[in-house]
Amino acid sequence: MKTRILGLAAVVALAAASVNALFMVPADLNQGDAQRIMYVHVPSAWLGYLSFGVTALGGLAYLWKHDLRLDALAHAAAEIGVMFTAFAIWGGMMWGQPVWGVMWQWEDPRLTTTALLLALYVGYLLFRRLTDDPRRRASRAAVVGLVAAVDIPIVHFSVEWWRGLHQGPTIGSPERVLDPAAPMQFVIALLTMLAAFTLAWAWLMVRRYQLARIELETEERARLGRISAARRAAPATPAPRAEEGVG
Amino acid sequence: MENAGFVIAAYGVILGGTALYAAVLLRRLSAACKALLHTRRGAEGTARRDEDT
Repeated sequence: MKTRILGLAAVVALAAASVNALFMVPADLNQGDAQRIMYVHVPSAWLGYLSFGVTALGGLAYLWKHDLRLDALAHAAAEIGVMFTAFAIWGGMMWGQPVWGVMWQWEDPRLTTTALLLALYVGYLLFRRLTDDPRRRASRAAVVGLVAAVDIPIVHFSVEWWRGLHQGPTIGSPERVLDPAAPMQFVIALLTMLAAFTLAWAWLMVRRYQLARIELETEERARLGRISAARRAAPATPAPRAEEGVG
Repeated sequence: MENAGFVIAAYGVILGGTALYAAVLLRRLSAACKALLHTRRGAEGTARRDEDT
């Protein structure tokens, strides 16, 4: 019931924030209406970071506690993170064409490291399919998730460390929180959309985690079923040999 | 609206994609629940057979 309320709240918040971002906030003086894409591009990128952070922490916690629920959490976050990172890249490309004149530039550190982040976590999801043993899979995936997470701060600080096409943070740095580079109306629209996206992310995370737990239980029961069947079949074969030995 | 095509493409893919993922996720969840129920029934049947033998 609580998850349903969360889902409903996310839908209402996303609809209201989208109407505000598309029709109520004025267009940017320099970028025109293309700037409205930022209201969905930035939250997508933020949720990509958040998801992969959860994957890394879930993996780290699994290596410590050896609880498969933590691996299920890491798995759920990785799948959702891949989706939001792909959306962030798509939104950036749709904004880049009218504003920069190009959709993509491989020389830009932010774009390239974000593409690498997406590739790393797609690899993480594919890597999980290599083994059926849940514990071995969880341990290996935790290590991969932690190694891939090294790219998160590189993506975030790439605009400060290196020069490229991508602009610096608008409100990301602490000194700009109270004095953002964009007009306050734009910032409020962005923060509203950020809150709406985070609600949707929370709902998706709950549902994806439930799915991961159910899949884990089904897998475990199927494995126990196979062991039980093997045990039932086992006594029938060695019995004649024992009789032969006695005789 | 200037660059309407790019704005619609961005919002359409991101919001539509999120909605599509949510719908697919609910279907996967429903299918997984059914599969789990099926596995539980199978396990109960096996346990009963084990008790009988």
